[in-house]
Amino acid sequence: MSELIYNFAVWVDDTSWSTMLHESYYMYNWVESTHVLTLMISLGMLFLIDLRMLGWAFPDVPASKIADRLNIPMMVGFTVMFITGILLFYAVPVRSVQSIWFRIKMVLLVGCAINAYLFHKRMNESVSSWDNDAKAPQRIRNGAMLSLGFWTVVVICGRFIAYDWFDCGYPQPAFIEFVAGCVDGQTRF
Amino acid sequence: MPTSILGPYFRTIVTVAVIAAALVFSFTYARDGVYVEIQPLFEWMETTWFGYVGKTWGAAFATIQAGHLIGLAVLGGCVLVSDGRLLGIVLTDVPHRIVVDRADAVFFWALATLLLTGVFMACGVAMKIYYLPVYWYKMLGLACGILFHYYVRRPLVAHELGSINPIVLKMTAIASILVWFLVAATGRWIGFSG
Repeated sequence: MSELIYNFAVWVDDTSWSTMLHESYYMYNWVESTHVLTLMISLGMLFLIDLRMLGWAFPDVPASKIADRLNIPMMVGFTVMFITGILLFYAVPVRSVQSIWFRIKMVLLVGCAINAYLFHKRMNESVSSWDNDAKAPQRIRNGAMLSLGFWTVVVICGRFIAYDWFDCGYPQPAFIEFVAGCVDGQTRF
Repeated sequence: MPTSILGPYFRTIVTVAVIAAALVFSFTYARDGVYVEIQPLFEWMETTWFGYVGKTWGAAFATIQAGHLIGLAVLGGCVLVSDGRLLGIVLTDVPHRIVVDRADAVFFWALATLLLTGVFMACGVAMKIYYLPVYWYKMLGLACGILFHYYVRRPLVAHELGSINPIVLKMTAIASILVWFLVAATGRWIGFSG
């Protein structure tokens, strides 16, 4: 499996556009900056929705209004982050795919998506009974806390990707090599 | 009394004058004397506990950086919601007053997070940022942002919003979004410099 992922990443790395994007100082930095600055729209809105559910922000605004109205800018932000994230991966595929932080981040993003789905489902089922309450019911608050926790770790992992602590190019414990998917005799890092 | 001479815009005019003076100071030779004088402060920052941890423990530095980004996300969210409401883009069915006041409460904590984590990060790379022009642009932007938020925007929106010229309100909202975007963008630029 690790070899398959590695070979795929090498194939992507060999495409001329990947090289161009990686080696274009300005383009790469523009993409990375857009990815980071869009946090203000995507996570900014998401955190405000979560804080509303916890009763820490906008307690006198109906929860459904906050969730509904901020959902559109949030999704616009996440779309931009998704596109720029794909481009960042496309520019540095081999190192990304073998970064344990990248892998943890991807797993957490799946967790975030599942949590968001459950959160909205539970909210839509019951919101009419607590819409004007300062705090959402415990079940919804748990989802909001989980969302805040997941996304905080996603941001931390995203930041850690930039560091080379567990890169395959260095001697690593067998467990780290397994988790990172290092391939024996690999020539591309 | 200056207030009576300048009318209800006294605080705004003083704040704009301070920002203008800071800009003139920053972009002329006037800053050179102060720039050399504050070098020992930056050298000292690197010797503090924050500086020691920031320089020697990469994981702690990166985690604080992530905290800084989360603070930025929340601050950006507050600015976009509050100014978006003044522009008539988001939460248009919630009264201005509620959106602006509630967003401001969260904004304060986000700004406090940014300042705390920012000081930690600055201590870890104090001498590097001392020589980076973009760091000083960011500090200038941050000072302008804080002054603008607390001494121009906040007093303005404290009035009955219906009595304020809508163009003034919209220009204030746009200026607020731009100044905080500038702070965030120059912060990102620091990462690419040096």
